[in-house]
Amino acid sequence: MNCDELRDQYELYALGALDAEERAELDAHLRREGDPCIAGVFRARQMMTSLALMTPESNPPARLRKRVVELAGEPKRSWSGTPVWILATAFLAVVAVWLGMETRDQARALAELRLEAQRHNADLARLTEAFALMNDPVAKQVVFGEGAPKPPRGRVFVNPNRGVLLLASNLPPAPPGKIYELWIIPKGGAPLPAGLFQSEADGTAMYIRKGPVDIASIGVIAVTLEPEAGSQAPTTQPLIAAAL
Amino acid sequence: MTLLPLLLAIYVEEDDRNLAERLKRREPAAMAQLYDSYSKLAFSLIYRIVRDVGVAEDLVQETFLRVWNRAQGFDAGRGALGPWLLAVARNRAIDYIRSSGGKIARGSLDLESAEHPSTFVNFESDLLTRDREMRVRKAIDRLNENQRHVIELAYFEGLSQSEMAERMGQPLGTVKTWVRSALKNLREELGEKAVTA
Repeated sequence: MNCDELRDQYELYALGALDAEERAELDAHLRREGDPCIAGVFRARQMMTSLALMTPESNPPARLRKRVVELAGEPKRSWSGTPVWILATAFLAVVAVWLGMETRDQARALAELRLEAQRHNADLARLTEAFALMNDPVAKQVVFGEGAPKPPRGRVFVNPNRGVLLLASNLPPAPPGKIYELWIIPKGGAPLPAGLFQSEADGTAMYIRKGPVDIASIGVIAVTLEPEAGSQAPTTQPLIAAAL
Repeated sequence: MTLLPLLLAIYVEEDDRNLAERLKRREPAAMAQLYDSYSKLAFSLIYRIVRDVGVAEDLVQETFLRVWNRAQGFDAGRGALGPWLLAVARNRAIDYIRSSGGKIARGSLDLESAEHPSTFVNFESDLLTRDREMRVRKAIDRLNENQRHVIELAYFEGLSQSEMAERMGQPLGTVKTWVRSALKNLREELGEKAVTA
């Protein structure tokens, strides 16, 4: 189409109201230097601007001004009587303090997040290990505490390749200065220390003693309450005793 | 008396030039002045398009923020601040009704390019004066009902001629005739005449 034929489309073009095909055709003209369509579209844009004036008048709500002006951060009060250098110094001091606090807060928050992430990662690794130990077909499972008047209750999994997993509930946190100790007691032999652990505040505990074990030689898996440093031999009666 | 519109236009042009410079310098008070100068027109236009006060408020806010953020690319010496802001306002509103109506944003690219600051240079200075407003209203009043309707559909809803035909349930050829005659009348009233006025 030539420019005369496109003349009726100038205004619609200026309004963004042309279909893609029509628009592409006019765009091609506008890319040619000196094309009469350029001046035509320019005039159309001005005319379309004026069409805004046919809009019925409406008053914006008063609250809108505050919303808009605050976008630019306009100060809410006048400080015209205060010397500029005092304002500048005060502002810099406030910014410095704020930045210092902000930096410290952010560093603290970051450190906490990092610790939290490490805790989650450690928990995840333990859970992964526990599932692998439990789900191995060669693992042997023993239930303990069933029917006992004073729980703890739970299960022990013994995996000849991976070690021993203890899952317990109703095992209150050890009192100050004390800790729980796991024992592997061979058939007819003395208890062997197998690691220290603490239960959670809700009385649950999960502990893994890693490393290969000889299931056939194990008579009992037991837990006792021991001094914080642990013991080489049980010093209290077992709280948990799971006979294999 | 006949010089009054011209004097007003010169005043508005100078005022907007200073305002644009201050916006470029990101003076917060310039935003307040911009709002005081154009908020009523922008709000009226957006409200006419979206017909919801809450939405209109949000879109007005978005309009002024967009102008504030893009003022660096505006030619303060040759640019027309008011027309630019109104183009942004209209585009925000039409974009909203297109997207909220579940339509594919056919014109979103068109709208984006149509509000680029570089588009609004060397405009006449009297496009938004009270005198111009009277002429626009008079020109619109002279259109017949169908002509006025198609102009409103194009301006307030950004509809193409085929979309207008579908909306009005009329043959495309008929709609094109109405559009052509309406634009011809408006051009005669506002276009060439305005240049020589």
